[in-house]
Amino acid sequence: MGGIAVGGGGHGGKKSVDSEIPLIPFIDLLLCCVMFLLVTAVWNKLARIDANQQQPGREAQLDQPPEEHIRLYLQVKNAGYVLAGTDGTNIEIQKAGDTYDIEGLREKLRDRRQQEPNRRDLIVAPEDGVLYSDVVAAMDEVVGAGFQDMSLSDGANL
Amino acid sequence: MPIHTPGRRLLHEIPLKFVHDKVSGGGRRSVDASIALIPFIDFLVTLVVFLLSSFSASGELLAQRQGLIMPEASNAVDLEIAPIISIDSQVVMLDNRRMADTGDLMASHNLERIEPLVQDLDTLHRNWSILHPRDQFTGTVIMQADRGVDFLVIKKVMFSAAQAGYTNISFAVNRGGGGGGGGGE
Repeated sequence: MGGIAVGGGGHGGKKSVDSEIPLIPFIDLLLCCVMFLLVTAVWNKLARIDANQQQPGREAQLDQPPEEHIRLYLQVKNAGYVLAGTDGTNIEIQKAGDTYDIEGLREKLRDRRQQEPNRRDLIVAPEDGVLYSDVVAAMDEVVGAGFQDMSLSDGANL
Repeated sequence: MPIHTPGRRLLHEIPLKFVHDKVSGGGRRSVDASIALIPFIDFLVTLVVFLLSSFSASGELLAQRQGLIMPEASNAVDLEIAPIISIDSQVVMLDNRRMADTGDLMASHNLERIEPLVQDLDTLHRNWSILHPRDQFTGTVIMQADRGVDFLVIKKVMFSAAQAGYTNISFAVNRGGGGGGGGGE
């Protein structure tokens, strides 16, 4: 049986204080661990971005009084982004060539966050024809800028 | 008696042919190979450490479908269990059951319900209170869509989910690096 014996034997009639390490059972244990972990391994790093819906649903509350809260919108259009608000804010971020200007959006969101550090809500409103990957990229930047209470609405209704 | 160069003497008295061949300087090379156990153990320990680092107690909640490539996002949080609506260029499915064709949804720009989807989600909604009597209904559904899907289709699916009481949408993404500052939860 494979093992490791450390040091020499005992001197004279003394009992040896060394003990062999059984390697074969240890290898069996490691192989069992490897097989279990291979079966349960998750190779895809998936995650989620949460959003509420801003459209009529089954539980729409009709008796709610109109809110005076200033709403902030991020429209994702085919021509670029528009950061707008009910306070009259209207900032257009045109596309850089054929791609959306993510850096520009990040900068504008950061500026807006500095103006209102306590605001957590923002409504993302994509237009029809915008690709899903572009919508997710915009939502990712919104969450990254600190607007955790993100909602998703239809850009055509704005 | 003439003087000769001394030859090999050891073990010549043993009456075994293979010993005699070995000590005479001849004999065949041994076909046995010793296994290096210590490097093998090092390899197994390294493998176990690597697999432990990627271990997830929640398991695989979403399977990667062929032909469906999800977008990447860096400010995302872990997935939770919820009904899964998957959308690719061909079909819209709820928990691997076909609900609608993506092409049919793209044909009209009107915001309309997807009836099979509304009915199935409504059933899941009603079953929730039976299966989870002590838990509050969160109204969350996971949307797993291909990166090239038009938002028009997403919008119709979201509208249908809202009709059934599922107003919170979790967009499944691939966790990517880079991105902006701040960060998710």
